[in-house]
Amino acid sequence: MATPVIMPRQGQSVESCIIAKWHKKKGDQINVGDQLFTYETDKATFDEEATVAGTLLEVFFEEGDDVECLLNVCVIGEAGEDVSAFRPAGDDVAAPVAAETAPQAAAPAATEVVAAKVSDTAKDNLFISPRAKNHAEKLGVDTRFAEGSGPNGRVIERDIEALAQSGVAFTKAAQTAAAGSSDKFEGTGIGGRVTTGDLKKPVAQAVAEAMNAQEGVAYTDVPLTNIRKVISKAMHNSLASTAQLTLNTSFDATEIMAYRKKLKANAEKLGLGNITLNDIVLYAVSRTLLAHQDLNANMLDDKMRIFNHVNLGVAVDTPRGLMVPNIFCAELKSLAEISAETKDLAKACQGGTISPDLLSGGSFTVTNLGSFGIESFTPVLNAPQTGILGVDTIVQKAKEVDGEIVFYPAMGLSLTFDHRAVDGAPAAKFLQDLKANLENFSVLLAK
Amino acid sequence: MPKSQFMDPDVLRKPGFVEFEPIPVNQYNKTIKEESKNFSKDDFLRIYRDMAIIREFEQMLLDIKTKSEYQGINYNNPGPAHLSLGQEASAVGQAYLLDKNDYIFGSHRSHGEILAKGLSCIHKLDDKELLADMEGFFDGRTYKVVEGKEKDKGNVKDLAIDFLLYGALAEIFARETGFNKGLGGSMHAFFTPFGIYPNNAIVGGSATIAMGASLFKRINGKPGVVVSNVGDASMGRGPVWEALNMGAMDQITQLWEEGHNKGLPIIFNFFNNLYGMGGQTVGETMAYNILARVGAGVSPTQLHAERVDGYNPLAVIDAMRRKLEIINNQGGPVLMDTLTYRMTGHSPSDASTYRTKEEVEKWAEHDVLVNFEKKLVEAKIAKADDFAAMRADITERMIKIVKLAIDDNVSPRMDLVKNPNIIADLMFSNQKIAKMEDRTPDVLMPKEENPRVQKIAKKERFGIDANGKPVSKNKVYQLRDGLFEAIIDKFYEDPTLVAYGEDNRDWGGAYAVYQGLTESIPYHRFFNSPISESAIAGSAVGYAMSGGRVIAEIMYCDFIGCCGDEIFNQLAKWQSMSAGVLKMPVVIRVSVGSKYGAQHSQDWTSMCAHVPGLKVVFPVTPYDAKGIMNSALNGTDPVIVFESQRIYDVGEQFHEGGVPEGYYEVEIGEPDVKKEGKDVTILTIGATLYRALDAAKELEEKYGISCEVIDARTIVPFNYEKVLESVKKTGRIVLASDACTRGSALNTIAQNITEMAFDYLDAPPVVVGAQNWITPCHELETAFFPQKEWIIDAIHEKILPLPGYVATHNFTETEQIRKNKLGL
Repeated sequence: MATPVIMPRQGQSVESCIIAKWHKKKGDQINVGDQLFTYETDKATFDEEATVAGTLLEVFFEEGDDVECLLNVCVIGEAGEDVSAFRPAGDDVAAPVAAETAPQAAAPAATEVVAAKVSDTAKDNLFISPRAKNHAEKLGVDTRFAEGSGPNGRVIERDIEALAQSGVAFTKAAQTAAAGSSDKFEGTGIGGRVTTGDLKKPVAQAVAEAMNAQEGVAYTDVPLTNIRKVISKAMHNSLASTAQLTLNTSFDATEIMAYRKKLKANAEKLGLGNITLNDIVLYAVSRTLLAHQDLNANMLDDKMRIFNHVNLGVAVDTPRGLMVPNIFCAELKSLAEISAETKDLAKACQGGTISPDLLSGGSFTVTNLGSFGIESFTPVLNAPQTGILGVDTIVQKAKEVDGEIVFYPAMGLSLTFDHRAVDGAPAAKFLQDLKANLENFSVLLAK
Repeated sequence: MPKSQFMDPDVLRKPGFVEFEPIPVNQYNKTIKEESKNFSKDDFLRIYRDMAIIREFEQMLLDIKTKSEYQGINYNNPGPAHLSLGQEASAVGQAYLLDKNDYIFGSHRSHGEILAKGLSCIHKLDDKELLADMEGFFDGRTYKVVEGKEKDKGNVKDLAIDFLLYGALAEIFARETGFNKGLGGSMHAFFTPFGIYPNNAIVGGSATIAMGASLFKRINGKPGVVVSNVGDASMGRGPVWEALNMGAMDQITQLWEEGHNKGLPIIFNFFNNLYGMGGQTVGETMAYNILARVGAGVSPTQLHAERVDGYNPLAVIDAMRRKLEIINNQGGPVLMDTLTYRMTGHSPSDASTYRTKEEVEKWAEHDVLVNFEKKLVEAKIAKADDFAAMRADITERMIKIVKLAIDDNVSPRMDLVKNPNIIADLMFSNQKIAKMEDRTPDVLMPKEENPRVQKIAKKERFGIDANGKPVSKNKVYQLRDGLFEAIIDKFYEDPTLVAYGEDNRDWGGAYAVYQGLTESIPYHRFFNSPISESAIAGSAVGYAMSGGRVIAEIMYCDFIGCCGDEIFNQLAKWQSMSAGVLKMPVVIRVSVGSKYGAQHSQDWTSMCAHVPGLKVVFPVTPYDAKGIMNSALNGTDPVIVFESQRIYDVGEQFHEGGVPEGYYEVEIGEPDVKKEGKDVTILTIGATLYRALDAAKELEEKYGISCEVIDARTIVPFNYEKVLESVKKTGRIVLASDACTRGSALNTIAQNITEMAFDYLDAPPVVVGAQNWITPCHELETAFFPQKEWIIDAIHEKILPLPGYVATHNFTETEQIRKNKLGL
């Protein structure tokens, strides 16, 4: 029996993925575990392996195609089987088929999403209360993604509320302009809303344009990877839309270095030998930040979103580009937990297996260029966050102690903050507190 | 049940016979010569003239109805015309002695009566009064059409005859210049300045109303008599019997106070033309043989009943003279069986298949005009030429009137395109009149000394004490106290106010609202009526249209069925059918029962709300009860006040500071937010409010759903603004009342909310009413009337599924379809 392979949904907020590479072509023999294709979201790359054996009967999308999650990508079966029933056709996707086959092809967690998706695509059958509709319009939420919890599955006000929380939102103008479009858009507006600006270049179109540009001879036009485009847009947006500036300071790292040395020396006994200086900085930041709530925040157009927890972003360099996974509720986690989690996150980013859900929702970011010997730099805000801390290398500095010049290891800290949200003095106060905590780390640990 | 009257078994059990006096039948036998001492030549000729005018008027209408032409004038009149050709002598004879203080009420066949009464009044009134009456009527609108067009220039009486004929005809032709702006029409034309009160298209409809008018005259000491003109066939109708009995009830002469204790000044006159449509009353549909016989069955006076030869105007005048004397001396009521015959059918479409040509021809030989002329010529009162000249003059006048009445320029119809609200504006008079007359009310003691007033003074006027606990039933100011206070206050303010109904007086009303009123208010203002709901409601209509204010109580609202016509056709419609000439300050108190099964426990609010012209209120807190009753009693519109037997003893829980001692009004039509909330609105009518509040409490405590509870208080009129505001806020609404769901007024409210707040709704408005069953016994009532759980179920099933909630009743769509399919 022919079995379709769907585009998996990697996290709630992912609507579509781009097929980066096909490892098999139509007609190939497929074994269970064979890599079928590689696909990427805006933030990570994944490989899809075959879960059934047979012949790759049909491939519905090509490399570079932006495929809506849960659509059939290809079909595996016995040669000669009819695959037409599995062919996705825009909005007229054979929804029942997708629903039937989804449980086989998709992870159990995706099952309920499939059900929602059926109603998404079958727009004519979407029952929604007038109030919910109006509410969605006000919030800029696309009602097609709402899950109806009212009588007979009617979408009611609370469902829109829930959807708005989960974040698939359009600005009013963008929603009007996008009406009837089946394209998927990336939101760069407030709270991740899709703006009219985002509408101008739907992902697929941008990729196609990049491909067509590969005609030059004196140079090679390398199409930007999705992740690069996101970084580029985010960085530019950050600089263009905020009022950022950087404060530099340094602190006496004697105590944290001694502390780390102790942990290393007792690595076998304690099992804490992997804790790095960066982990210690992350720990200190997580404890300092709550007292400086304007820096543990997102700057939205007309409001500040103050976080109740510290969702600490950690900048990770990967072969694909910069990624910032988050340690959620970092202030509740121990140093050992933060350390371990940071390593897991970095590994997942580098391996391209990071869940996209971990890549958003941060309240503050820490980026470390110290290992590259950078003494001071200007980190770019991870907008809409209001602050980002750059961790610099350690240099020897001199200071006068009791009339004598003594040297000490000084670690640099570079805080970029959004002046729209925070003034210079409070930002400096944060650095001051952070410095005090790091210089008296044993005291901080005791708190 | 007055204690003063002893029901003595020693007397009551004695053997004997009911004895009757002979009832006179056509005993008049005077000659013209003998009557010459009572009538001048002018009188005789005027009697002839008046009959001839009626004859010509009805003949003109017959021509127009059957040939669309009269004297060369073409016109089509689609409206009804129940003509009284042949009955002219009866009408003129009756009206001859009556003046403007005497009221006549008629039937569908009353053109002749209103013309005769009008002509009689014109003869008796002086020019100044006539001009004032004509000029003052609708700001002279009708008068201006005929002004200056009289043949005998400057002759006010001549002009007034034109005015009378024109006003009546314009009304029949539905012109805005008619006596009732065309809203009454042929069967309802009347003109109160001449003592001509409404005719009635409901057979026998005038009997109870006329009796009420005579109550007004007797209770308030007004001059004049009231004549109820109905047909012989109406004797088959219950309300007519009820009117005869109530009009003759013993208490008026035996219990009412000095000055008010003479029998009612009313003549129940039956124009006996021997047919009710085609039904022959003698020999076929009735049993009385001679209608006058019925009087003997009503009271020991036999209602002074008599059959009169209605084909002889002088016989009728003679009888009227004797009857008026009886009324002036010993009081009425009087029953007259005025024998007559209509020469044409019931209406122009009647082929008279039920009677022979010979019969009609034989009566034609008795034609009143021909015979009266012949007798006057024989008696040498006048010459044949005089009569011919008179008839020519009348025809000429009629042509003039018809031309005016059909001229769209001088006699336009209401322009509902230009002024779409003309009729709408007449549905209610919406006035506030503290007292209908300015004089000292008859009471028995100062209000402060009334025992109930003193008892209430000791009560807690707010139902919740300082600790948040309900005040005990014995100490709390109850809903029934609120009603009582408003009512007794008005009794001491408006001298015309009367209250009556079953068991009102010593008993204090079935639910003790009136307890203590007996001590303050004399019998003639506050009395027990017979168990005659038609007569109670109908007389209230007559009392009010005569200028008084009434509270009529008909106990259980289920009994509205016994006075359906009086409430729905009469009470509701006369203000607008009269084009605003009449006011209807009537409060009908009814109580929604419980515990008393199918015929005593239904909520009839929706039925009352359906008929335009009634205000329908249902206060369920002491504050609202007093405030709404005050508004109703201070207004000029008919208000059906629903009360609930479940909550007569409820204390005030909402209005901070409790029920004010002084006067205040709760505006009729304004719903009240009894509890604020933000997630779901619950709108209730009636005592369901308290169950809704229980539901709100549970929804809040168990499910975190905040409910806004609104008490409609009034069903008609109804201001949606507050409800819409609430629904726009919450997005959800359940409507609940004890009325059966099908046809419930709640459905209308729900539909209007859907239309006006559609874009704000998170779910359709859901109506939770009683089952479409009979009301079962008390023990099973929870399965019939909406309960707290039903409201929560409805919210869960149809509006906002509640996590973890399991519905106890089936509110699914499938069930809804199934029940409706079965008529349930």
